[in-house]
Formats: sequence, C-alpha cells, structure tokens
Amino acid sequence: MLAKYVARRFLASLVVVLGVTLITLVLMDRTRGTYVPGIDLNPALRPEDIARLRADLGLDRPFYIWYITWIWGVVHGDFGRSMIDGSTVMSHILDRLPNTLELTGTAILIGVLLAIPLGIVGALRRGSKADHTMTVVSVAGFAVPQFWMGLILILIFSVTLEQHGLPWLPSSGAFSAVNGGDIIDRIEHLVLPATVLSFFYISTWSRFIRSSMLEVLSQDYIRTARAKGMSDRRVVYLHGLRNALIPLITLVGLELPGLVSGGLVVEVVFGWPGIGKLAFERALQYDYTTVMGVTFFATLLVIAGNLIADLLYGVFDPRIRYA
Amino acid sequence: MTQPLLEVQDLRTVFTTKDGIVKAVDGVSFELLPGETLGIVGESGCGKSVTALSIMRLQRPGKILGGKVMFKGQDLTRVSEYEMREVRGKEIAMIFQDPMTSLNPVFRVGWQVAEPNRIHQGWDAKKAMTSAVSMLQRVGIPSAASRARDYPHQFSGGMRQRAMIAMGLTTTPQVLIADEPTTALDVTIQAQILDLLRTVNKDFGTATILITHNLGVVAGMCERVIVMYAGKIVEAGPTKDVFANPKHPYTWSLLKSIPRLDEDRHEPLKPIEGLPPSLVDLPSGCAFHPRCSFKVERCSRDVPALLRVGETQLAACWVTQAGTELKGA
Repeated sequence: MLAKYVARRFLASLVVVLGVTLITLVLMDRTRGTYVPGIDLNPALRPEDIARLRADLGLDRPFYIWYITWIWGVVHGDFGRSMIDGSTVMSHILDRLPNTLELTGTAILIGVLLAIPLGIVGALRRGSKADHTMTVVSVAGFAVPQFWMGLILILIFSVTLEQHGLPWLPSSGAFSAVNGGDIIDRIEHLVLPATVLSFFYISTWSRFIRSSMLEVLSQDYIRTARAKGMSDRRVVYLHGLRNALIPLITLVGLELPGLVSGGLVVEVVFGWPGIGKLAFERALQYDYTTVMGVTFFATLLVIAGNLIADLLYGVFDPRIRYA
Repeated sequence: MTQPLLEVQDLRTVFTTKDGIVKAVDGVSFELLPGETLGIVGESGCGKSVTALSIMRLQRPGKILGGKVMFKGQDLTRVSEYEMREVRGKEIAMIFQDPMTSLNPVFRVGWQVAEPNRIHQGWDAKKAMTSAVSMLQRVGIPSAASRARDYPHQFSGGMRQRAMIAMGLTTTPQVLIADEPTTALDVTIQAQILDLLRTVNKDFGTATILITHNLGVVAGMCERVIVMYAGKIVEAGPTKDVFANPKHPYTWSLLKSIPRLDEDRHEPLKPIEGLPPSLVDLPSGCAFHPRCSFKVERCSRDVPALLRVGETQLAACWVTQAGTELKGA
C-alpha cells in the first residue's frame, strides 16, 4: 500500500517536473533576444560565426523543439554540455553539489538542534524576558535580508577584525586556494555563511516549536500525564515534545530542496562554489543546458522533500495512514 | 466512627483573570471514608472539577490560597512537588471527562496503561506491560493483549474510558477521583462505565470521588453526596436523605427541575430561574439568593455557614436552619 502510494506520488510529480522545466526554458527564451551564449567571450566573431554558433546550440529553432530535444536527452541520462564552457552539465553539478550540501546541511542541522530547545524554553517561560528577547531576535531573523546580514558579518568578522590584527574569518569561498582544503580551513570558511543561513532557520523553526509546544501543553493528555505523577521533565520532553515535533517535520521537509537551492543568496554573497551560485551565474549568461539541469534536480528534490516529509509524518503520527 | 482516608478542610482555590479574582473553590470541607463512593454534584463552573484538581495539586494556573488536604497524615497542599508526584497516580488516581483527548495520541494504549507502574514502581517495560494487559482485561477490553498494541484512535470512546480507568488502577491507589467520567459518552456506554466503576469500588476497595452534574448517576452510585454552588458546598449528606428531603433550596430546585416520566407530557419543564452567578462578582450574602424562591431578608446580607439541618444532613441556608420546610411549586 505504501509502495503504491509512493509510486503514485512519483507519477504525479512527473507533471510537475515537466511544467517547471518548461516554464524555466520559456522565461529564458523570451528574455534572451538575439543574444547567443558565448559571443561575448570572443569579440572577433563575425556574423556568420554567430549564426553557426546559434545553429550549433539549437537556438535557431523554436523553443519547444529545443525542449523536446533536451527531454529526449534527459530520458537517456544525457543532460548535455554547458553552452558556455562545453563541459558536461552533470560534471558541473557533481562538482558543486558537495559544497552546497556541506553548507546547507550544516545550517539545517544547527537550525534543528538550536530551534527545538529555544522553542521549548519560549513555551515553558512564556512572557518571560528570555521569551521576549527570542521573539525580537526571531522577527529580526525573518526580516533582515540574508545578503545584508552576510555583508555585515563580513564587515565585522573579516574586515574589522583583520584591521585590528585579531584572528579573523575568511569572507569568501569554501576553502583557501593556497595551502588550504584541510578540515580546519573548510570549517573556518563555513562559519559565516552557515551562521547567516541557520539564523533564518532557527528564527522560523523556534517560533514554530514554541507555538506548537504551547498548544500541546494545553491538551488534556498532558493533564493526564501530570495526574499519573511523572516529573515535569518527562511530561514536557516525552509526552509533549513527541506531539509538538510532528508539525515541524513538514517545515524541515520543505527546506530539503533548500539543500540545493535555498542557499542561493548566501552562496552568492560569500562566493560559495555551490549549486545555487552556479545556477545564478549561468542564468545571467543564458546557459540553457546548465540552468535546465540544475532546475531539474532542484525540482526533483522539492518533490522528494515533500514526499519524505509526508512519509515521516506517518512514522511519527500513528493516526496517519496512506491510501 | 471510621477514620477518614482523605480530609479536605476549608480549601480555597482562586484564578486570577483580567476581569478579577475568581474564587473557584471557596472554603470547601469534606471527608472521604475508606471504600465509599462520594458524589460531588453541581452545574458547570460551580468549582467541583477545580476542587478535584486542587486535591491533586493540578489546579494550575489556579492557586491554592488556603486550607488543608489531609491524606495519610500529611497535608498535600504543603508537601514538596516531589512528594506530591509520589501521591499522584500511585495513591490517588484521577480519570477525566473526555477519554478522546485524555490519552496521548502518539503512544500505544498498553504503554500508557503501563506507565504509572514504570514511574512509581520502577518496573521494567515487560513486567509493567504484563500487568497493564491483565488490568485492561479486568476492565473489559476484549483480546487485551493485542488491543494493548493499538493507538488510542483505534479505540472507541467507551474503550478509551475503560483504558483510562485501567491506567488509574494499575498502581492500586486508595483513592480514585473520577471527573465526569461518563459525560462525553453515549447513554448505553455510560451505564457500562458506571457498572465498571461500581465493580472496581467493590473489588479493589478503592474509595471513589465521583464528580458529575448528573443527579441520576449520583443516585445510582454514591452513598453520600455533596452539592456545590458557586465554589461552596451548599448541602451534604447521605444520598437517599438528600434526594428524599433536600435541605437547601438549590438542591430542592435541582431535583424539581428533573422531568419525570410518569408526568403529563404537556407539563412544562421547571428550570431554576435566572443564571448561575459570575464567580468574579458574587451576590452578597448567600450566592443563591437571587434565584431562590424561599429567600428571606437576611439571605442577601449574611453568608450562611454549612450547619447540621435535620438528622443526617448539612446545609448552608438561613431558611432551613431556622426550621422551615421546603415545599411548594
């Protein structure tokens, strides 16, 4: 029954993948004008060279023909080559994906690990100074743009600290180009972007846990648990938290695609060589194949994230059955 | 005379609201004898549930302002939170009105029934589960061993209340407080649950406090009854005496308001006129006087104390304390 459910969800998601990739292509195609990817790399190109290039890339034909050709390739496992540098799209994605997973995985992990205890404290001490402080900080967390916060952190922890001769943190990249790449070096590079990204997650999720916990703690079964004579800790962390965490699954599940794309702004600000930055740069250059490849994988991840969240729901909430 | 098991003396519990201080329990005193079933009746908001929760010290966000709850030589309003936990669920168990929402939806029923023994006796999961299954069987859950692995949503309302009762009884407590245990159930199931409570009372010798607004339930279950109005006890005594010959106009009106099957169908219902008072702003004197058809001038001035009226009953009423009989339409 479960296998059938998963299969049906995957079939339905095919339509989503087709729709998203098609819209992405139409948007690029309608805004490209007469630009041909790569022409600005070589100023000596003559008009007939440009025409040949356009024909080689398949841009002289209507977009739907291009799309069908692309889909045909994808079905056969071929995502094509980048229109800019000629290397395969797959090699680009595989090259960048580990960096993105490193950044967003860390941010989500820190987010969950900090949001849960902060949310519980907020619920248990509702109206206290700690709770009010967290409310203010959280609102800042949703409201402050990530690029701005990133720049401020760079200004403080990279620029100012270095100017005063203090230990400072690198502001760009995933590792040092010279003598870098060991674990300490990578962690140093990870600190600032992961802080910006996880700050947002902590803000959102801790508020969510707080309200979810408040609701659960007012339920009758919590009173029953207290009447059974258990400690407050057991009441809150076993009987309460087990129920309060169920809705968080959806939120975190919806962030799973963020593993690929969610850090786009942060990746750009911190020059982090990840998938989001790749898609951003290549979209500006109308590198159809690369953008389409990244879009395809990001869409699959959104779908998988939703599906995983739904399946986890069934694990954590015995009332849910799949049909 | 037998030594009371539980003695509540002048208990006062208040809630602070933005409209003012609500005196939910205002000087309530009673005792519970070993093995008896004591009924507490009254309409919604009269303080009967808060009285029960205060005994367990689960009245939050309310505050116990004064009084004593004497149990086994100690005052439960004063013992430490840790000692109180040793009483809850072990010496005094409580079951609640709505079995739909009173069981935790994410844990298996058997696990929840086994939990009190794991907490209080330190039993391992297996031993506690074995005893939980046999307890589920005793309260009438068919094929208890397999049903114990079900989640609450797989149980019917009546079965959940049976499971709640089993959960209360696994530690063989001396007192069981049942707060409206049948209110959320349909009538045939109500009868089954009341039967079960009666059996439990007989077989385990558990003294029971039965809180209800249903006078029929009290008549069938309780040796003694307490009638509460606006946070105070207005009448107390043996059930049959209170029902046959009420000594407080509130009890009298309550009994009058029950429609009778042997009456003419066209006879209009006889409700108690007026509304229950706001607990923030109680009437002066006797809280019932604005609705009382027997009131005298003194009733709006002085608060009557709960005193002996007649052979066996206590009543807080100036009229009956002066020797007047309650009669008329």
